[in-house]
Amino acid sequence: MQTNAAVTPSTLSRRDLPWQISWDIHTCTLCGRCTAICPVNAIEPGVFRKRSISSPAFGLKDKPGSSFSVYHGIRQRTDPGYACVGCSMCSLVCPNNSIEPVKSEITDMLRFHRDRAGLPRTRGGRRNNSESVLDQIKFIRISMLTDPALDAGRHEFEMRTLIGRVLSPAKAIKAQREKGWMPPVREIYPLLIGGMSFGALSPNMWEGLQMGVAYLNEELNMPVRICTGEGGCPPRLLRSRFLKYVILQIASGYFGWDEIIHAIPEMKEDPCAVEIKYGQGAKPGDGGLLQWHKVNKLIAAIRGVPPGVSLPSPPTHQTKYSIEEAVAKMIQSMSMAWGFRVPVYPKISASSTSLSVLNNLTRNPYASGLAIDGEDGGTGAAYNVSMNHMGHPIASNIRDCYIDLVKLGMQNELPLIAGGGIGKNGNLAANAAALIMLGASAVQIGKYIMQAAAGCLGTEGDRCNICNIGRCPKGITSQDPRLYRRLDPEMVAQRLVDVYVSFDTELKKIVAPLGRSTSLPTGMSDALGISDKGAAERLQIKYVV
Amino acid sequence: MSGINTVRLKGKDESGRVSSRVLEERIQEAVRSGAQKIEIEAFGQHGLGGRIFLPEDKQIMISITGSPGQRVGAMGSPGTTIEVHGPASDDIGWLNAGAEIIVHGYATNGVCNAMAQGKVFIGGGIGSRGMTMTKFNPRFSLPELWVLGCAGDYFAEFMAGGTAVICGHDPREPENILGYRPCVGMVGGRIFFRGPVRGYSQADARPVPVSDESWQWLSGNLPVFLEKINKLQLLEKLSVREDWHCLVARTPLEKAGGLTRSMNDFRREVWDKELGKGGLIGDLTDLDRSPVGLITTGDLRRYVPVWENRKYMAPCQASCPAGIPVQERWQMIREGKADEAVDLALAFTPFPASICGYLCPNLCMQGCTRKAGNLDPVDITILGKRGISSRVPALPPLSGTRVAVIGGGPAGISVAWQLRLMGHEAVIYDLEKVLGGKMSTAIPEHRIPGEVLNAELKRVRLVIPHVRLSQRLSGNEFEQLKKDFDYVVLAAGAQKPRTIPVPGSERIIPALTFLKNAKQGRQDTGSRVVIIGAGNVGCDAATEAGRLGASEITLIDIQEPASFGTERLDAENAGARFRYPCFTREVTDEGVVLTTGELIPADTVIISIGDAPDLEFLPENIATERGFVLVDGKNQTSDPGVFAIGDIVRPGLLTDAIGAGRKAASAIDEMVYQAMPDKQAFRLKSLPIDYSETSERIDYSRMTLEYYDPRATEYNDLAGCASQCSSCGSCMDCGLCEALCPVGAIERKVLKNGQFERISDPHKCIGCGFCGKSCPCGIWDMVENFPIG
Repeated sequence: MQTNAAVTPSTLSRRDLPWQISWDIHTCTLCGRCTAICPVNAIEPGVFRKRSISSPAFGLKDKPGSSFSVYHGIRQRTDPGYACVGCSMCSLVCPNNSIEPVKSEITDMLRFHRDRAGLPRTRGGRRNNSESVLDQIKFIRISMLTDPALDAGRHEFEMRTLIGRVLSPAKAIKAQREKGWMPPVREIYPLLIGGMSFGALSPNMWEGLQMGVAYLNEELNMPVRICTGEGGCPPRLLRSRFLKYVILQIASGYFGWDEIIHAIPEMKEDPCAVEIKYGQGAKPGDGGLLQWHKVNKLIAAIRGVPPGVSLPSPPTHQTKYSIEEAVAKMIQSMSMAWGFRVPVYPKISASSTSLSVLNNLTRNPYASGLAIDGEDGGTGAAYNVSMNHMGHPIASNIRDCYIDLVKLGMQNELPLIAGGGIGKNGNLAANAAALIMLGASAVQIGKYIMQAAAGCLGTEGDRCNICNIGRCPKGITSQDPRLYRRLDPEMVAQRLVDVYVSFDTELKKIVAPLGRSTSLPTGMSDALGISDKGAAERLQIKYVV
Repeated sequence: MSGINTVRLKGKDESGRVSSRVLEERIQEAVRSGAQKIEIEAFGQHGLGGRIFLPEDKQIMISITGSPGQRVGAMGSPGTTIEVHGPASDDIGWLNAGAEIIVHGYATNGVCNAMAQGKVFIGGGIGSRGMTMTKFNPRFSLPELWVLGCAGDYFAEFMAGGTAVICGHDPREPENILGYRPCVGMVGGRIFFRGPVRGYSQADARPVPVSDESWQWLSGNLPVFLEKINKLQLLEKLSVREDWHCLVARTPLEKAGGLTRSMNDFRREVWDKELGKGGLIGDLTDLDRSPVGLITTGDLRRYVPVWENRKYMAPCQASCPAGIPVQERWQMIREGKADEAVDLALAFTPFPASICGYLCPNLCMQGCTRKAGNLDPVDITILGKRGISSRVPALPPLSGTRVAVIGGGPAGISVAWQLRLMGHEAVIYDLEKVLGGKMSTAIPEHRIPGEVLNAELKRVRLVIPHVRLSQRLSGNEFEQLKKDFDYVVLAAGAQKPRTIPVPGSERIIPALTFLKNAKQGRQDTGSRVVIIGAGNVGCDAATEAGRLGASEITLIDIQEPASFGTERLDAENAGARFRYPCFTREVTDEGVVLTTGELIPADTVIISIGDAPDLEFLPENIATERGFVLVDGKNQTSDPGVFAIGDIVRPGLLTDAIGAGRKAASAIDEMVYQAMPDKQAFRLKSLPIDYSETSERIDYSRMTLEYYDPRATEYNDLAGCASQCSSCGSCMDCGLCEALCPVGAIERKVLKNGQFERISDPHKCIGCGFCGKSCPCGIWDMVENFPIG
């Protein structure tokens, strides 16, 4: 800033920002790449004064002097609107390793000024907290000699799960005998890609993920499924055989559903399932929030809205006034859309009220499962307060629900899908296996895939997190071709395949010592231990030290 | 068999079954005692025939009948031959290190597990996990497994060395002689097999043709095998080369290469084929979505530099009420055209020296960008003072339009000057003998040397005729002027001093009267002077009082004095004291009595709380407000033929009056030439500069001031001043952007009219912003590229 500019309450110094740009004058070659790439214009070319003082021997003829010069370099802007987000793209493009953001170790002052014009901070990303109960859970049952110990590398595994309502043998036999209706059930891979909309994600990212999923199914025989999120589905995909790998999501904004309805008579395949989104873990109680920056012509066309407008979805589905009505009515309608051939399940934010929803579903013959998204879920756009402070951890929520099903004798009937923070610290298979053993039939991931398959730079340390404004430096969540063309769909697809194949190996490494190879150890909580006594009691798993 | 030392051992004797430990002790004892052949009637004992360590030249034969237990020949040694006369249990040849084992029947699971050397011949089929974990040790001959029948499931897992031969004769599984999922983890060795298989781990093994060399080995060893198991009659059947196949382990390199379809192939052959050209959204958009790098040029840049030369007005010019393009003048000086720079001012003001050089508070300097950057503004007074020598510009022929200007002060002279420069005849009517209004009559000489003002007024008189009025203008005379002239401009100023209604107010001298008298040397002050109203006029009065000999000068005001600048400083230097808040109760012959009762002794009491215009002569159709003439933005009054400028409109600075005169002249000129746009255009072109008076002021943040040394605070000459001007908004052609551009994208291009422009080549530019953020003049702007999609 100008040294004599007026100080306002929101005038901050470089030191007050969460990230400081460290720039090395000696190695910088002034190539301009860092300033060209910075997604938020946090850095700019700068002209700097330099003064040096000469001090000849005092008292003689020569007097001390001052000489003035100028040098060019990189300046970090301190205006809160242009604060560095720590993405490190500058560092990525710097040919000389001359520049990088450094996270401030002191409490930044910026956090107190992110409400300009009375607008609280919104952002993309995830809860800025890297703690994870899932990471603390250990798999303590290693059956070397007690059970036939399996070799993850040699044994053949069927890592599959069922989505759909699995009738009890008695009911199934009855239905068969009476030629009655059998609920649709899909046998799928237990690691789902959760709902990330076409719009939240760039076209190249979306296509990359879909392509990778198709590859896993068709080339590697892994029945991986991906949920569309709320934003419709491209017409071509709806009319392709790849639709069977897709879970269509309907949420409170109902974006893109006219296209889906138009496509129904032309579909070659039924979709894998329909997910009714009532809530998401990142921002419980709040609806989708696609900001206008990202609603270009293409997105508008797919969603069925005018371009350039913000698209908030209502926090709740309209026209539904009780849980019975909301759940029953939606499940009924969505089941009917495909002649009751497609599993339909709701997705809710993990909540202390999850059990009420679950109990309701157990009485609904058309309910195919329940997806629960914990507080650590990510999002493309939400209020910071919702992301950081709203929501329920997934571990105890999924555990409560599973135990509830056990009490009802329905643990094999109604599958639970867990999400939110799986792999948040990179431990994807361990977290997934822990949730499965706590009671989930499947788990779903979003952020992890963005990080692993597309190089998303976001972390729980509030890095980057600008998904909402369309400036994603990796092109993952931008709708600007200048940015999303940085992302090659084929590379995303290939990375997705790598992630799944290696996840599969890791999951086997965990379940093989338990002696499981042909069925997922859902609810096998005697294999779990934790060194936190409170957590052990709460989760009803072993306390180990 | 006779003649050799044979020992017979029984697995079951009179005391019952012999334990494996005891039978093993007996075998080792027999070996130590020199037995060459041991015949064992087995009864489920473990590990028979293994671990028999002999000198190199010795051989031993172990012949087993009955039912051996698991791990026959485990850890077998060279020189040991084991013959099992019947089927064998699990793990035969386990960790075999050199024994030859013959089984005349089938063997169950785990045949040859981890075998490193030796040969195992099976006269039937084998169970699961045969030939697994076998080793490769080049110091010894490699292990061999010969199976007459077929292999069980998980055959050759983690096989690392040796050769397995599966003859597929009379197989248990005729459709699949290698069992389920063979070769998982296989890293070495080879497998010859004869018969159909249902797959193997393609990630680990690959088929190779049976080469001549291989066939020579196989066909040469087949009779040996068949002879061992007493099935030589099968030789012909098994010797059909075409029936044999071979699998070998893939090398790590081959494994890394991947067996699956490449993603690129998948996209072309599967994905796009199913979805159509362009993939997922090929039907919705034809946007190019192919990958690009991080640093892009052309349309793919996020930001684009735009050369905005002279798009915005420099702050100095925008601050000057007279609209003088100050930065243009410094540019001319930098270009060596000092005279032109000086003369240019006359197009804007008739008083460049008097006002810019002396009397003006120099709003241009107050608005100077340098000031915003904590630097001293460029000193315009040096340039202004040079204006004394400017010659009268060439005057255009008269247009025939005549304008009467009432008032010969700075406002009146300005409008008349401008009108004449525009080709219209203007006549000034004034009460005073000399032109110049308060500049001539009231402003003290210490502020403006008489010779400077006189020289400029002399120049003015060369341009404008002056009619001296004998008396104040009456209403009738005004109407007559309106008839005689096309337009009338009111510039009579504010002549009526304001005063305060306190007892003794008749003792008070209005400041204007005091100053006029003082200037003419007709004023006596006494030693004590009190001035009511401490504004700049009050300050002038105080300074004059000091000059005239007053020693005790007090300025009082009801609030904090509004005086500033030179006037204030001069008054302070004259010893004036400022007091506030002071409310006058009365003025007596002793001085000023305040409402507090305090008496400030005074020989002379002067009041300077402003002057009001005398509007008595104005007709009713000219609207007034609070004693001033009401005008619109063009200084036009409610009578379209009458304009009003200067203090008659509102009290202001001299430069405000000059500016208003120019504005009114332009408005009249426009009205005259409304029907002749060509002529107007000609007039604009005739100015020696090009600029737009309607441009917005450039944003201060665009200029880069770091190039200027904050210690450079004294300006001695024009060149020194010009070197410190940042030329806001106008390119000074320094070429820094060209030098700084990291990709050399910027080029200077000379235009047909002799001007130049700079362009940034979109094929080279990466949008880094160096040009924009380093330009001293703020010419380059970085704008977001056009939206795509």
